[in-house]
Amino acid sequence: MRMQIAVAGLGELVSGNRPDQVLVCYGLGSCVGLALHDPVARVGVLAHVVLPDSRLGRGVPDRPGKFADTAVPAAIEEAVRLGAVPARLVARIVGGARMLPVAGIPGMLDIGDRNVEAVQAALARAGIRLIGQDTGGTYGRTVHFFVGTGRLMVSTVGRGEREL
Amino acid sequence: MTKRVLGMKETDSSFQALQAIMEKGLADSSVALSAMSTGGMRLQKPVVHMLPLDQVPGIAGGPARVVVAVYVGMKGDLSGHLMLLFQREAALRVVEMLMDLPPGSLPDLDEVGRSALAEVGNICCSACLSALANRTGLVILPTPPVVVTDMAGAILESVVTHLYLNGDESLVVETKFNEEVPGYFLLLPDQQSLGKLVAVVGTKP
Repeated sequence: MRMQIAVAGLGELVSGNRPDQVLVCYGLGSCVGLALHDPVARVGVLAHVVLPDSRLGRGVPDRPGKFADTAVPAAIEEAVRLGAVPARLVARIVGGARMLPVAGIPGMLDIGDRNVEAVQAALARAGIRLIGQDTGGTYGRTVHFFVGTGRLMVSTVGRGEREL
Repeated sequence: MTKRVLGMKETDSSFQALQAIMEKGLADSSVALSAMSTGGMRLQKPVVHMLPLDQVPGIAGGPARVVVAVYVGMKGDLSGHLMLLFQREAALRVVEMLMDLPPGSLPDLDEVGRSALAEVGNICCSACLSALANRTGLVILPTPPVVVTDMAGAILESVVTHLYLNGDESLVVETKFNEEVPGYFLLLPDQQSLGKLVAVVGTKP
């Protein structure tokens, strides 16, 4: 079977409900990859969350996947549109690293941590169960999320690959 | 379509002034780098673009590409980020050039290689900041360089995220070392700083 790859760039949200689809986030640093899966309907959604809060968006209309507080409802809505049932949805989150150990630039160091916390809080508000998490540290991560099986692989540079 | 950054177009005189400043900075870098390498090191005349922040993680061969980045933060009258970025093979080649080694002789980036690259980053960033300071009279202070090897997307995301807080575009300077090794130099002032910069270079002849 030839896999169909859909890549979520910064602030984007990709989805699928066919077994040959793979959803990908390349090179997550401080951003968080949020994967939602309905194992029964075999629906998957992957969002590339950049910032914790849409109030940081300077009032201009933006992509819902960009902020944790808007990405979670948008991802749920997209999953439902493709046939998922909210009560069956499970979430996994990846990323939120601290890539550049530089002090003195305000807001720079902890943005990854804040992204992780904000996604967790938004999932809790929406009543979505978080079943896996590979976050923090000082290194980048790439996510491959297989819609059909729900399998989610996290690869790194020099730290191997693992299933989440 | 003309690309815009925060109200500045690539055809504007302020953009061209910035481009000239970066050219001067990299030309000065060449002189300094050549002084520390036996074979001489020259940076090609840079190509400067304005790029939407969304596209920044994709430079240098795509977000999944393993790159070596030398990061320097800017403080003082301007705040933001400077970054020198190489694909992994290019980074090794730059170190080889500095150490006067034949191509392919370094299998990996060791501690010596990393500090050599930190020094290259330091020289390029300092030269560009000096060029900026001389032209504008602004006081700009660099943080000590940090060298990181990882996926380009992951490294670039971290600065882009910070810039998203107040802007949507950035300045990307592309150059080559000795006309063979591509490197990217990013000058990423935050929006307030870029506004300040544009105002100064736009008015001073």
